[in-house]
Amino acid sequence: MARIPASYMINRLLTLFLTVFIAATLIWIIPRLSPIDPVDVMLGRMAAGGGSIENSGAILTQLRESFGLDQPLVVQYFLYIKNTLTLDFGLSTASFPTPVAQLIGQALPWTLGLMLISLIITFIIGNLLGALMVWENTPRLWKVAIPSAMVMTAIPPLLSGLLLMYVFSSQLGWFPLTGAYGLNVEPGWDAGFAGSVLYHGFLPAMSIVLVTFGFWALGMRGLMITVQGEDYSVLAKAKGLRPRYILYRYMIRNAILPQVTAFALQIGGLVAGQVLVERIFAYPGMGKLLYDAILDQDFPVIQGVSFVIILMTAIAVFLVDLVYPLIDPRIRHGRD
Amino acid sequence: MGVQGTTDRAIPGAARGPGAAPPELTARQVRRMKRFDNPWRNPKLIWGAGLLLSIVALGILGRLFWDTDLVFTGSGMPRQAPVGVENIRGQIGSWAHPLGTDVSGKDLLALLIVGAPNSLYVGVLASLIGMSTGIFLGFTAGFVGGRTDDVIRVLSDVMITIPPLLILVVFQAAYGDISLTLMALLIAAFVWQSPTRLIRAQVLSMREAGYVQMARLSGASTGHIMFREMLPNLVPYLFGSFIANVTTSIVTAVGLEVLGLGPQRIPTLGRVIYDAINSGALIQNLWWWWGIPTLLLAVMFIGLLLINLGLDEVSNPRLRRL
Amino acid sequence: MTVLDIRNISIDFPTSKGVVHAVSDVSLSVPQGRRIGFIGESGSGKTTTALAAMRMLAAPGFVSEGEIHLNALGDTDILALSEEEMRRVRLRKISYIPQGAMNSLNPVMRVETQIWDGILAHEAGVTQAELQRRSDAVLEGVGLDPKIVGRLYPHELSGGMKQRVCIAIGVCLQPDLIIADEPTSALDVITQRHVMQTLREVQARIGAGLILIGHDMGLMAQSVDDLAVLRLGELVEFGPVRQILENPQHPYTKELISSVPLVGGESFLDPTPAEVPKGFTTQDGTPLLELKGVGKTYGAVTALHPMSFTLDGAVPKIISIVGQSGSGKSTMGSLMLGFSPPSTGEVLFKGQDINRIGKADQLTFRKQVQAVFQDPYACFNPFYRVDHALKFPFKRFGLAQSEDHVQEAMEEACRAVGLDPALVLSRYPHQLSGGQRQRLIVARALMLSPNLLIADEPVSMVDASLRSSILKNIHDLKDRHGISIVYITHDLATAYHVSDYVMVLYKGHVVEAGPPKDVIGDPQHTYTRLLIDSIPWPEVGRDWGSADDARAALEELGRIGGTPQTVYRGDIPGFTLRQG
Repeated sequence: MARIPASYMINRLLTLFLTVFIAATLIWIIPRLSPIDPVDVMLGRMAAGGGSIENSGAILTQLRESFGLDQPLVVQYFLYIKNTLTLDFGLSTASFPTPVAQLIGQALPWTLGLMLISLIITFIIGNLLGALMVWENTPRLWKVAIPSAMVMTAIPPLLSGLLLMYVFSSQLGWFPLTGAYGLNVEPGWDAGFAGSVLYHGFLPAMSIVLVTFGFWALGMRGLMITVQGEDYSVLAKAKGLRPRYILYRYMIRNAILPQVTAFALQIGGLVAGQVLVERIFAYPGMGKLLYDAILDQDFPVIQGVSFVIILMTAIAVFLVDLVYPLIDPRIRHGRD
Repeated sequence: MGVQGTTDRAIPGAARGPGAAPPELTARQVRRMKRFDNPWRNPKLIWGAGLLLSIVALGILGRLFWDTDLVFTGSGMPRQAPVGVENIRGQIGSWAHPLGTDVSGKDLLALLIVGAPNSLYVGVLASLIGMSTGIFLGFTAGFVGGRTDDVIRVLSDVMITIPPLLILVVFQAAYGDISLTLMALLIAAFVWQSPTRLIRAQVLSMREAGYVQMARLSGASTGHIMFREMLPNLVPYLFGSFIANVTTSIVTAVGLEVLGLGPQRIPTLGRVIYDAINSGALIQNLWWWWGIPTLLLAVMFIGLLLINLGLDEVSNPRLRRL
Repeated sequence: MTVLDIRNISIDFPTSKGVVHAVSDVSLSVPQGRRIGFIGESGSGKTTTALAAMRMLAAPGFVSEGEIHLNALGDTDILALSEEEMRRVRLRKISYIPQGAMNSLNPVMRVETQIWDGILAHEAGVTQAELQRRSDAVLEGVGLDPKIVGRLYPHELSGGMKQRVCIAIGVCLQPDLIIADEPTSALDVITQRHVMQTLREVQARIGAGLILIGHDMGLMAQSVDDLAVLRLGELVEFGPVRQILENPQHPYTKELISSVPLVGGESFLDPTPAEVPKGFTTQDGTPLLELKGVGKTYGAVTALHPMSFTLDGAVPKIISIVGQSGSGKSTMGSLMLGFSPPSTGEVLFKGQDINRIGKADQLTFRKQVQAVFQDPYACFNPFYRVDHALKFPFKRFGLAQSEDHVQEAMEEACRAVGLDPALVLSRYPHQLSGGQRQRLIVARALMLSPNLLIADEPVSMVDASLRSSILKNIHDLKDRHGISIVYITHDLATAYHVSDYVMVLYKGHVVEAGPPKDVIGDPQHTYTRLLIDSIPWPEVGRDWGSADDARAALEELGRIGGTPQTVYRGDIPGFTLRQG
């Protein structure tokens, strides 16, 4: 019987559009304000690098047209917006003349996979540990061990990746060093491929999990403390409910609500950590794409990747906001 | 009325019987209870502040006692290990470079003395600017309400979705080099959203508080109500938020530097790590080059975390355990 | 047969200043089917003792001595049980109905699910159909429609409904003992009566013992069989409630009984002196306060229907606005103080529309109208010492001639309300008691010498024994300082004694208005009569009626509908009132 108020939906949609719009604008404006016009640099490099490629002249001309690069700024802006909304980000300078969208399209599934898995694992483990830190029935040992483990949040994910790689790959040989899937495995929708992907994705995912779970745990701890002091926790105990039942259905169930909202926002933040992890493990995701683009000063790719990541985050926020009324009945009935 | 507790019994072992005196509390418990009198004497706060101050001390004392010109290339023999340790070439480190050198001969100790406070500086500056903006916007949104509130709220919702790292990457790709202060400013542009939300929520609830109404009855001006009545009570929240923002800012800055971005000619901890990875420190087993800066970073973050937890306990008495 | 036997219980709380003895050597027994009341003020230990029986004391409290025996367990001491054994006792043998059910229900679970999980936690192998049947039955038993209410979420229920759901949960396993901790403190009088009667009925039906914790002597008189009077952790008197009311032994009990003002009884106030200081007068008879067709709507909800009155300030008076929550009385207070503008009509103070005056005039307005609010703690900024609240306005309104003058004025005002300035003025708010803080607010009003004072529920959050003295302080403001007062309250008894004129509000309408002896002493409007009937009197002979009576009363209330008629019982000189 979920009746999501129409005004709520419209509000969220509006925020989504506004976010995407402002992000795109920012990404477009910032370089334009620079004294060195990166567009010229970019074109110059394309022309130089495209010498050996057929039709490079024609391709460049087409690029100029579709992005209006010879036209006044205002026109350029609108063309840019139009192109961005159709996911046309131009051509990569480093891998000229490959369209940026194609590069992103190849990298995106890997990132989504790695990111989603790590995010979900981190979310579950982090929140559970945060809750256990506060629950009165947690064995004392755990209550000391968990905060100690949280210290790992201080380590840049880069180093946890290195550490894991060193220990588990080089020394113990349990997990593979590089790649998204085995060298002799054919990509396809079968169990063998899926297995290989999971196997290869495990260490990268773990290095992210180890350093980000502390953030969730800390937040959950604070929320659980508030919930613990609420009257319904008191009545739950007075009803003689089993402690574990109280933990899950009364405490965590209520404390987790704000964390769900934060979950969507983390997608954007996670990329920062993933960039280096992907590089170390040579994992062909968006992080590695971005890193290589920075090194090669491949501007269109940087722009494209940035935009796509923001787009993903905004969509995730929107989806979570849609789902939220289903888990919090107070919102469902029009109360804000 | 709090109602939890797994032991309602008297302290085990104490003699009980009708008319018996209440059991003596252990000395440890008495000490802990005395601590509740002054919540500021919180071990977490003290340790955390201590750790941070040691970093600041490193920066100040280091400049006095060590030659910071050693941050430049060729200051010493390359690839030296810390004192007493042997590197892969069989050379043993000396006191000339107590923490070793990197692949181009830069002295690591000097790098840290300059770099660590720099990283802290970025975090603190970004957080200060972000917080001030946040306080201003939060108060305005909460107090004035109406359209202004809507605009501020939507703006903060939108900005919070955009990861600062990406915009910084775009920025730097276009501009080349960036100064420490400019980086801090840019990071601050992404840090104001959560203080704004926090303060707005607090202001909305405080607006209805009894003492605010009494102040209105006393003819107080809006300014007086905001700054003399509400703000002092917000300080615990603000402080905690400040520390959390310092952490996020440093993380963002380090994230940028480790990618090879950030200030190109000024030593920062993240930059040192980037140089290390990129110059093959891993293969050549120059562990001190990336390990010790990481350790310092860890010290900084642990210090900030402890302060955060300590402040939590100060503002929320329920967290204090006997 | 005794259900619960409390033997020499002492409960201590270690604090940094030493061990606090919250409860000292309390013993009593609860026979089966009998209702025992625990009455006392804050700090009396009444809640703590009951919580000890549930083994739910707040850390770091602990039971230092004594035993509690539950008959159903044979001769075992509850305090010696293991955690798991105690868990099984809760709800099945002893159940707890919490204070203020506002937040006691899990916000993300439906009502019936919360009844089911209580059953499932103690019984194995109960089918879904059986669960449904039992929850339906228990909801009906408290007068709620299970088909509708069962499926609702807590935030969709009213306060009274939530409280009844908590009662339903408390009896679903038919325990031997029910502990009800101030179950009606947040409810208005009429709902309170309904809820209490329901509780009594349900308890009688299942034959459980009842411990009712509270501070309202009248409520105890109507609801319990035996009464235990607690003071500072000690049991000072125990016996059948009639006996205690008719013949109290301990001086504290006598104090508690006498501090409850009764309608029609003796007044606790000093008689008005012949010579009263003049209030506000003008040549052309401009009234002090005038409301012209003032109404307030919030969106689709009408908080106050248009009404008008004129208050002439020449001879200071106390006008009472009486109503339950949602009646619009707080809205009126807010309008009179200029905190929100009226949706229709004008609020005129000394002839000026207070929502249209300029900045300079605003300060003058503030100087002349002051207030005393309900929550004495919230009215002080916890960051400053309490003298900040008195000094600031004094200086702001330009009444201060020098620092010494300010100090003198503060001290004089403190003494006038019965406080010792040396003990009180330099403290922080949390170091003072509720009664002291409220008196300070009255002292503040005294210092500022306004023409008009709005007192919005000034004593409802103060301990019963202090209420009459604070009301005396407020009454003195009229008699000795010429201040006209608007007294907003839900308590008809105090309104009866204190006011010169009473208006009764219901759903934003004035339903009856006139001199207190008429309106309250001899009510004619249905609603006023209902209110008077629902007040629990600490009078032995007077009965509250059964739960059916309470239900019938509520139904009659529903019939009054949207536009009730106003019954005017006569004006008094200097004050006129009209609806519309």
